[in-house]
Amino acid sequence: MDMEMEEIRGTFKPEIIPRETGGKIGDYEAALHVLMKFVGSMSSALEQVSGRGANAIVYQAGKRMGHDAAKMLEKTDDLEKALNEMGEVLGVEFYFEMWKPKGQEGYTIESGDKTEVKLLFMDCVVRQTLRRTGLPQKGPLCYLLYGYMVGAVEEVMSIKGKLDIDHVGPNACLKTLTIKWGGK
Amino acid sequence: MEYLSRKQKMKKISRGFKMVEIEIDEDACVGCGSCVDDCPNNVYQMNEETWKTTVVNADDCMACLSCHEICPSQAMTHRDIHVAKRLYIDRKVNDVLEKII
Repeated sequence: MDMEMEEIRGTFKPEIIPRETGGKIGDYEAALHVLMKFVGSMSSALEQVSGRGANAIVYQAGKRMGHDAAKMLEKTDDLEKALNEMGEVLGVEFYFEMWKPKGQEGYTIESGDKTEVKLLFMDCVVRQTLRRTGLPQKGPLCYLLYGYMVGAVEEVMSIKGKLDIDHVGPNACLKTLTIKWGGK
Repeated sequence: MEYLSRKQKMKKISRGFKMVEIEIDEDACVGCGSCVDDCPNNVYQMNEETWKTTVVNADDCMACLSCHEICPSQAMTHRDIHVAKRLYIDRKVNDVLEKII
């Protein structure tokens, strides 16, 4: 296969701060594909070596990211407000909406000291990576988003949370976010 | 295809989910019932007379499209849904495939 490569030549001095990134959109696309392949093979190797422990490692990594990302957000007890703020944290690459079946009145279900809400993740870089590398969904990499969401919830609402995967599909995944009132 | 800005998307979170319109191509449907078994929200049911899939609960469809993935005859069409950004398509591979086809 022929490969075209455009060399960028210029002067480099440490004090010069570049005003923009270099390269064309195709370069970014190629870089994205390489990263997807790296992450995909890392995830499957992790699973091969650590078995189910891979999920815990990736979950912990995601949780730390969630805590860090949500540190600057306003603390709140309002679940809907928290979800909107978390939408900002997760960004458009993890675009989600609250979801409920037709017969259910509100988005949240209260049971004892727990509140449940179903979240439909529509755009997800993790899913795209898994499909790019031919890996099944619900694997260790999905635990990254699980941890990320839980970390962000814990940071914004100062309570314990968990995210269960209900159903996965090529276009969207349904997850249940459960928060437990009563502090950490 | 409609692309929403980040702000518009964030606003949609609290606005709720839009109903999905599903169409089944009865000539293509082989009546395997895979979509009926796969759908977690019981959107489909087998018509016992024609032994073809029918949509009985479109309100609960969340457009995950796992039914598309499982359908052996690609008999369904989902209209006006949020189509997830397909970052996994490699244009170089697609170009090669197109040439072969």
